[in-house]
Amino acid sequence: MLRKNLIIGVYKEPDKLIDGVIKLRKQGIEVFDCFTPFPVHNLDREMGIKRTRLTVGAFICGSLGFLSGLVLQFGMMVFDWPMNIGGKPDSYLMLPSMVPVTFELTILFTAFGMGILFFYKSRMLHGVREDILDIRQTDDTLLLTVEADKLNGNKQDVLEILKNTGAIDIRDHIRQH
Amino acid sequence: MEHHYITEIQDEKYLLTNKTKGILALVFVVGLILAAVGAMNVKSQWNEHDGSSTTLTKTEKTEETHAVANKTGHVHEKSWVTRVWANFLMNSYYFMLFAVGALFFIAVNYVANAGWSVLIKRIAEAMSGYLPFALLTIIAVLAFGKNEIYHWYQYISNDFKEGSEGFDKILNSKMWFLNKGYFLIGVPAIICIWILFRTMLRRLSLNEDKEGGVKFFNTSFRYSAAFIFIFAFSFSILSWMLMMSIDAHWFSTIFSVYNFAITFVTGVTVIMFFTLYLKSQGYLEVVPDDVIHDLGKYMFAFSIFWGYIWLSQFLLIWYANLPEEAVYFNERLTPQFKPLFLTNVVMNFALPFLILMMRNAKRNPTVLMVAGSIILLGHWLDMYLMVMPGSVGEHSGIGLLEIGTTVAFAGIFIFIVLWGLSRAGLYPKNHPYILESANHDVGV
Repeated sequence: MLRKNLIIGVYKEPDKLIDGVIKLRKQGIEVFDCFTPFPVHNLDREMGIKRTRLTVGAFICGSLGFLSGLVLQFGMMVFDWPMNIGGKPDSYLMLPSMVPVTFELTILFTAFGMGILFFYKSRMLHGVREDILDIRQTDDTLLLTVEADKLNGNKQDVLEILKNTGAIDIRDHIRQH
Repeated sequence: MEHHYITEIQDEKYLLTNKTKGILALVFVVGLILAAVGAMNVKSQWNEHDGSSTTLTKTEKTEETHAVANKTGHVHEKSWVTRVWANFLMNSYYFMLFAVGALFFIAVNYVANAGWSVLIKRIAEAMSGYLPFALLTIIAVLAFGKNEIYHWYQYISNDFKEGSEGFDKILNSKMWFLNKGYFLIGVPAIICIWILFRTMLRRLSLNEDKEGGVKFFNTSFRYSAAFIFIFAFSFSILSWMLMMSIDAHWFSTIFSVYNFAITFVTGVTVIMFFTLYLKSQGYLEVVPDDVIHDLGKYMFAFSIFWGYIWLSQFLLIWYANLPEEAVYFNERLTPQFKPLFLTNVVMNFALPFLILMMRNAKRNPTVLMVAGSIILLGHWLDMYLMVMPGSVGEHSGIGLLEIGTTVAFAGIFIFIVLWGLSRAGLYPKNHPYILESANHDVGV
């Protein structure tokens, strides 16, 4: 179990939250995460979040689906048990008739793979304990969290910036996992 | 606040310099010369080709041709002129698709209330300004080239009675649609309707520049909705009349959707090219990368759409294998056309799909231009495969004539578009969504 000491700033307005993020990062303090009940424009950019690699996962899953579609149909219809359906060739020339199934399997694998990967990466799999930092985050407030252990003694700066940018509440929190 | 929001758009005007005009004139002249040289080559090789392809002596050959002519009644002996006109039709239609694709792009963005495309709207407007010239070229085909290209037109000129020699049941049953009146009046009428809508939308856009206010947007919205409705029917009819009727015995219900896919993907690609060109010339500085990214998404998406429609047309016909449908692909799977037929799918679906898949590819001008060139060349080939096998047949080929005609058309098209751009400000400055476009952001 990973323990994390977090400093939480509770905001009411997205603009103030972004302001806080910008000012913190200007001081060289990395923001651990932000929790918002709705998408906030430009927040990801200001937080310096790297682009998701989910798309790479999607491509790999899709390629897997593409290959399994082809292998499935070639294996069955060409190698294992060649069948003559409607006078169509039973060699690789039957490729056009394989397109729909290959297409469907590509989509299926991509969708499932991406969904599972997303849930895995965002810790929303079954059995994972939920971790609500502040009960108000499920309502209309926005949270800005900073990892206290990674600060080199400038915790006062963080508290000050949070306060000055308009956080309505500032708390310490120990995250248990 | 430290966010950088654009709150004001400076007016910009494109200046069509004499140098650019000169280059385009040169392109046009070079294209014409190439086409003329190519046509002469085709003319001189035409009879040679005949001699080499058959062992019959000349008299025998002529007799045979006459026999065939008497039997089917409407065989018009193909000459090199057929190839010239087929080329002309192909390019007229291809470049018209850019224009009408751009018009559709404007309309669909109005109807969808889309804000991101506002900054590049003037490019699409300038492209749709090519429609009157397209009308002229299509009328030229209707006036002089129809007997060379459309064999059904030769057939209906003869007025065969049922049971008489040369009577063609299929063509006869289609005469309610494929007849002189519909063909010669309908086709220009449809393009005229589009020009009408284009003029209205353009005028509203220019008046909006002068006066401002939301009423122009609202009126444009209504015109756009009407245009999309009318476009769906009129474009289908036009594609049947001009393109599908080349193979008059054949039909495909998805053919007009197939043509629409070409229209949209090529239209968006050409808009992308003009945007990048103007950016490289120092104009359109305000246009963010995100707008170009979205154009790239359109290119990517509609290449896939084209592939989907292509397969829908091919797969059903291939699987059902009915003679009256399969004849179209039979003609295109001969040794002469088969390599082009396969290249077509690779260039228009596989390559754009793989090249444009990644996010960074859609934001990189070089990659976009490579993919765009592949798409434009690929759809040129698509047009070639639509027109040539049915009209010119085994005598067709890609030579100087084909390249020259396209280069000449491209010269005129680019000139008309740049001229249209220089006639008005580069930005529709009073458009209600212009700041949304300038601050367009597709995220990390």
